[in-house]
Amino acid sequence: MSSRESCRSELRTAIRQLNDRCLYSASKWAAEQLVGIEQDPAKFTPSNTRFQRGSSSIRRRFHTNDVTSTPPAGVSYVSTPVMEEDEVVDGDFYLLAKSYFDCREYRRAAHVLQDQTGKKATFLRCYALYLAGEKRKEEEMIELEGPLGKSDAVNREVASLERELSILRKNGIIDPFGLYLYGLVLIEKGNQNLARTVLMESVNSYPWNWSAWSELQSLCTTIEILNSLTLSNHWMKEFFLASAYQELRMHNESLTKYEHLQNTFSFSNYIRAQIAKAQYCLREFEQVEVIFEELLRNDPYRVEDVDMYSNVLYAKECFSALSYLAHRVFMTDKYRPESCCIIGNYYSLKGQHEKSVLYFRRALKLNKNYLSAWTLMGHEYVEMKNTPAAIDAYRRAVDINPRDYRAWYGLGQAYEMMGMPFYALHYFKKSVFLQSNDSRLWIAMAQCYETDQLHMLEEAIKCYRRAASCNDREAIALHQLAKLHAELGRSEEAALYYKKDLERMEAEEREGPNMVEALLFLAQHCREQKRFEEAEVYCTRLLDYTGPEKETAKSMLRGMRTAESSFPLMDIEHFHP
Amino acid sequence: MAAASAFAITPHKVSVCVLLQMYALPTQATPPFSSVSQHNRLGLYILSLTKSYDDILEPKLEDLISQLREIGGSLGPWLIDHLTSRVSSLSSPDDLFTFFSEMRGILGGSDSVVIEDNQVILDPNSILGMFLRRCVLAFNVLSFEGVCHLLTNIGIYCKEVLSNCMPYELHRLDGSSNDLESLSECENMDLENFVFGKVNEEIEERKEATERVSFHLHATQAICGLVEDVEVVTDPRSKHHDKGTEDCPHVHRPGTESQDVDPYGEVFLRTNWQVQGYLTEQADAIEKHGGSVSFNTFELILRQIKKLAPELHRVHYLHYLNSLYHDDYFAAVENLHCYFDYSAGIEGFDFVPPSGSNNSARYEIALLCLGMMHFYFGHPKQALLVLTEAVRISQVQSNDSCLAYTLAAICNLSSEIGSSITAGILGTSYSPVTSMGSSVSVAQQLFVLLKESLKRAESLKLKRLVASNHLAMAKFDLMHVQRPLLSFGPKASMRLKTCPVNVCKELRLCSHLISEFASETSTVATDGAFSTAWLKNLTKPMGSLVLTQENESGENFHALQFCAQSSSIPRSVLQILGSSYLLRASAWETYGSAPLARINALVYATCFTDSSSSSDTALVHAKLIQHLAAFQGYKEAFSALKVAEERFLSVSRSVLLVLKLQLLHERALHRAHLKLAQQVCDELGVLASSVMGVDMELKREASLRHARTLLAAKQFSEAAAVAHSLFCMCYKFNMQVENATILLLLAEIHKKSGNAVLGLPYALASLSFCQSFNLDLLKASATLTLAELWLSLGSNHAKRALTLIHGALPMILGHGGLELRARARIAESKCYLSDPSYSDFLCGFIFSLVFEDSEVVLDPLRQASDELQVLEYHELAAEGFYLMAIIFDKLGKLEEREEAAASFKKHVMALENPQDEDPLLNLL
Repeated sequence: MSSRESCRSELRTAIRQLNDRCLYSASKWAAEQLVGIEQDPAKFTPSNTRFQRGSSSIRRRFHTNDVTSTPPAGVSYVSTPVMEEDEVVDGDFYLLAKSYFDCREYRRAAHVLQDQTGKKATFLRCYALYLAGEKRKEEEMIELEGPLGKSDAVNREVASLERELSILRKNGIIDPFGLYLYGLVLIEKGNQNLARTVLMESVNSYPWNWSAWSELQSLCTTIEILNSLTLSNHWMKEFFLASAYQELRMHNESLTKYEHLQNTFSFSNYIRAQIAKAQYCLREFEQVEVIFEELLRNDPYRVEDVDMYSNVLYAKECFSALSYLAHRVFMTDKYRPESCCIIGNYYSLKGQHEKSVLYFRRALKLNKNYLSAWTLMGHEYVEMKNTPAAIDAYRRAVDINPRDYRAWYGLGQAYEMMGMPFYALHYFKKSVFLQSNDSRLWIAMAQCYETDQLHMLEEAIKCYRRAASCNDREAIALHQLAKLHAELGRSEEAALYYKKDLERMEAEEREGPNMVEALLFLAQHCREQKRFEEAEVYCTRLLDYTGPEKETAKSMLRGMRTAESSFPLMDIEHFHP
Repeated sequence: MAAASAFAITPHKVSVCVLLQMYALPTQATPPFSSVSQHNRLGLYILSLTKSYDDILEPKLEDLISQLREIGGSLGPWLIDHLTSRVSSLSSPDDLFTFFSEMRGILGGSDSVVIEDNQVILDPNSILGMFLRRCVLAFNVLSFEGVCHLLTNIGIYCKEVLSNCMPYELHRLDGSSNDLESLSECENMDLENFVFGKVNEEIEERKEATERVSFHLHATQAICGLVEDVEVVTDPRSKHHDKGTEDCPHVHRPGTESQDVDPYGEVFLRTNWQVQGYLTEQADAIEKHGGSVSFNTFELILRQIKKLAPELHRVHYLHYLNSLYHDDYFAAVENLHCYFDYSAGIEGFDFVPPSGSNNSARYEIALLCLGMMHFYFGHPKQALLVLTEAVRISQVQSNDSCLAYTLAAICNLSSEIGSSITAGILGTSYSPVTSMGSSVSVAQQLFVLLKESLKRAESLKLKRLVASNHLAMAKFDLMHVQRPLLSFGPKASMRLKTCPVNVCKELRLCSHLISEFASETSTVATDGAFSTAWLKNLTKPMGSLVLTQENESGENFHALQFCAQSSSIPRSVLQILGSSYLLRASAWETYGSAPLARINALVYATCFTDSSSSSDTALVHAKLIQHLAAFQGYKEAFSALKVAEERFLSVSRSVLLVLKLQLLHERALHRAHLKLAQQVCDELGVLASSVMGVDMELKREASLRHARTLLAAKQFSEAAAVAHSLFCMCYKFNMQVENATILLLLAEIHKKSGNAVLGLPYALASLSFCQSFNLDLLKASATLTLAELWLSLGSNHAKRALTLIHGALPMILGHGGLELRARARIAESKCYLSDPSYSDFLCGFIFSLVFEDSEVVLDPLRQASDELQVLEYHELAAEGFYLMAIIFDKLGKLEEREEAAASFKKHVMALENPQDEDPLLNLL
């Protein structure tokens, strides 16, 4: 990978250029990465490292074997020369337009630049028009809200922009920024293939525009599409791939990429948040919590991705931490969907589901396609026993993203609650298909099969077996497997699973009724198999417990001893006719 | 969603308001309405504009203008002019405000308005009055932004017609001058068209080639279907490709030119009510015509509705239906679940939009639908699981009507799937009604279920369900032997019998529906259907002519009344009634009354084809064609079959295909084309293979025909073996009625093989079967076989045979087909000839020229040989002519003898050298 210094200088130039073109979010991203590059110890001043403190502790905890920064073999990074500005001195009109733009008066900005022909001016004019259209579109979305949820407000500038930009592209007088805008327009038009090509051209000639990368990433819905892209090598490509992998649920690949990137951008909050996201998907809640604690210490006014942190706190039932977080984001920016979600989570944890639904609703009002809010709202409705509403919420989540296994699972649960196990199976099957290494899903499905109504025990056994094979934390599967086999009269298999379950309980030092049940079954089984010694061991262990099992064990022991003593007697009798 | 907000004011509604104003204030018209009928006609037109559901989108101004031109007659140009000028004069928000306050003046009831001489006072509670009030209300609740949008939309709405006065701004907004884009799109399309054109040509060629080879139509059909699908899939957005699917006249396609939804907000859905009506209509059409409705065309429409009204969840249901009838399992499952997730089973089933209190979710309906879907796709096991779940949930939710429907569905399932499969399932799973245990046979379980279901339906007053339960009961009575439910020991009286009386009774009870449905109909729905029909009639030339001329307008109103009346009986009622006639026809077929069967089939074909599903119609056609073949020979039958095949091109090929194979087989056997017969038989066997799910009926048919082919090839032992195994199968699956036929076949085999003694018990058994199952025609034919067997035992049994034949003759001559009649006649004359007393008599009077007596023998022979020649049944015809020749010889009529002998020779030659060229095959 290119040296830190070159990255730094590239980013510095890029930020200036992006700012010049009013591409603010891309420049924000670039600036964040710029600060994230590790400072040379030589220039170590407290002011420079203000945003970099504390991070080393994470690295100590999770990266004991620090990878040396050697790039993967065969990859050579071409450092693209930073673009030359075509107009060194901005025209007066450009300055006026940019000021208007900064004041969000987009149409005025576009009007000022009407007769300018420079690439920069052309881009800004088009971009201003595009944003003006977007603004109008959002207003219309509210105005036009039809009776049946019709919301077909469109950006009315798109058609003319597309015409102009396509001509510019054909004539070869378009810069990478123009290509990015062209890509945006094409996406809005629904022409995904061309959009992908155009965005690819844009990032290949100017890789520092993160907005272009993320648009490109949103177009890569399958791994095949991702692999078909031809991207020139640049360190920005690594960021892109990491984020694309994450979106495609290849969490481990994505983690590797991010960890590799951390060698250069060791203090990047962005990368840390992304790592946390991947860990969250892998259900490593402990690590997520640690990362977010660090992140929020560095960047206390952060709202992005913090809702995930709140989910972790919810799962760990940290009341006060969650309330503190909710309070903080509320003070920072209460009209962010993330903030509403966090507050909703807090109320849910407190058991005040009506209020929680209220806040989830607000989050959805702010962003109708906010996936996790739909799912979480579904959970709340389930808690409130309002199954139809829950089903509706989950279904909307599924329609937004059909790969959301939680919502499918929620749908299944809702139907199971209503006593429709066969109907629920359809949904469990969906969720299991998407997340086949989650034991909870398999167990839920198995329980469906096990219900009195269906009583399809063979299928249930199959599901439990899958659950047991993928790290079943609560160890339900083994116990159920043993029980089902016993019920079906297959004592050999039952004994095998009871023994496994027993071993596991011993290893985890758990006690309880399951233990007693396992011991009792094994004792009886061994006695039937005439393995008295083993049976005795189990019986003696049972004696440690109170309850009726203890008495049973005692009598069994007694019975076996008499049998043992009588066996030799019988033999003797045989020998003495 | 509140009802008020579901009604948005749109440019089209504004123009309807303008029309209403013209209707209500006729004096303002410079040439006032020339007659009352013309005035009424405009009113009717406005009414149907607000009610009809022939399309999902509101019509554009041009459409409105062209319709007005037809309606208005001489007044048309003036109406159009007034409308366009009025609408296009609305150029500022204030114009709209004045316009709508003017509108309020039309309504009656407000005293302040000065009433002019001729003014029609609109009752605020009439349909048009309500419409106007809703428009005014919808306008009044609009925000200023809303008014601005309305104004813009009105501008766009007018612009297309009055392009000369198009303001600059609109032009800019519309962005209509992007020729570049359209140009490139055109290029793409052309290319695709070209490619597909080539493919199509290829297919055409291949089709021709295969058609010449033989009648294997499945393969080509499949390929064509494939191509059609591919063609449409590749370019779902283009309208050019509609060409490929245009051969489906069933689904009305809303204006294709608006399929690319214009992104500039000038496309509006009609009112919720109208769209729902449209969807219901389409659902009916899909259910009726099955797979022949083009999948992609309809899918496009649905997508469009979904875009315009994302909260209208019924669209998912239509998606489900569409994919169901195009055998797309996964899409069907997906959409079904989606629909019920959103609607919770409330929306859509009865025409009521979800109100605020939706705590009465009815997911049991989802289960019922899912069960039916599994049934449709041939997963009886899943279907039963789901339906039992539905029974349980509807009991929990105390949704009695759903329970009744579910029970009916289970009955249907267990009777349709056949005893073979359900036996295992019903035994193991929880039987929903009673835990009868596995000792009771499936048929008895079904009987109990049917009774239970009927009782429920009756107590809930679900009239359609009662009727269809009666039908199911009749079907059960027709096919199953009544037996006491509990029988102990061998001594219990086991009188096996079917009860035609019961069948008849059930069928009659079913027909009561027609007098009872009246209370159920919702007048609203018919209203809409009427308007739709009226508007559709407009486009027909006859309608437009009539209106302008005074004297003929009465006629048109007759037509209108007829429209209204025909749609006043709900389609579902007609469908049930139709199927009762279908069942009647098959019942009479079974009991052996050909004329009654034919009459019922004809009644069905003439009265109920409009309302019934096309597969049922095809079935009826098949029945009629079969009848034709039996009574008028193959030539007629084949030409009728050809017509039927054209009519049911893509629908339910299987019924007609089976029929075709049956006819071909029959004919091949008669003409002794054994090779062809075997080939056809094999094809039938392929159809009956278990790939598509087991159809016992078809399986039986295939092996029966196999046995008959073997018999014709004189491989007696093989034929007997096949028949035996078939008998065992039928016995195993309780198909007693079918067994009578098989026993008769066995008797036939033994007769032909010369073992008359062995044949006798089979014939007798068949006879007793027929007797207890009331199969009269089959009984007659069994009697005939019995007589033939006796006859072949020697001439001393001729008298007994003759009595038998004479006993059966009335039935045979009244109801039997050509073949049976001819056989009976030949057998009769053979009896006469072999009767020793009679031959003596014939010899003795041979010179006495008593022709009357010889006519007793000759006449049936002549008739028989005529009939056999129609059938081209060479073997039997040769026999007939042989007998004739002998008699003529005896009578000394040499000339006639030679003639008969020549005919005999001709048939024998044909029998021995079967020609491969068959003129009739070319007909197909």
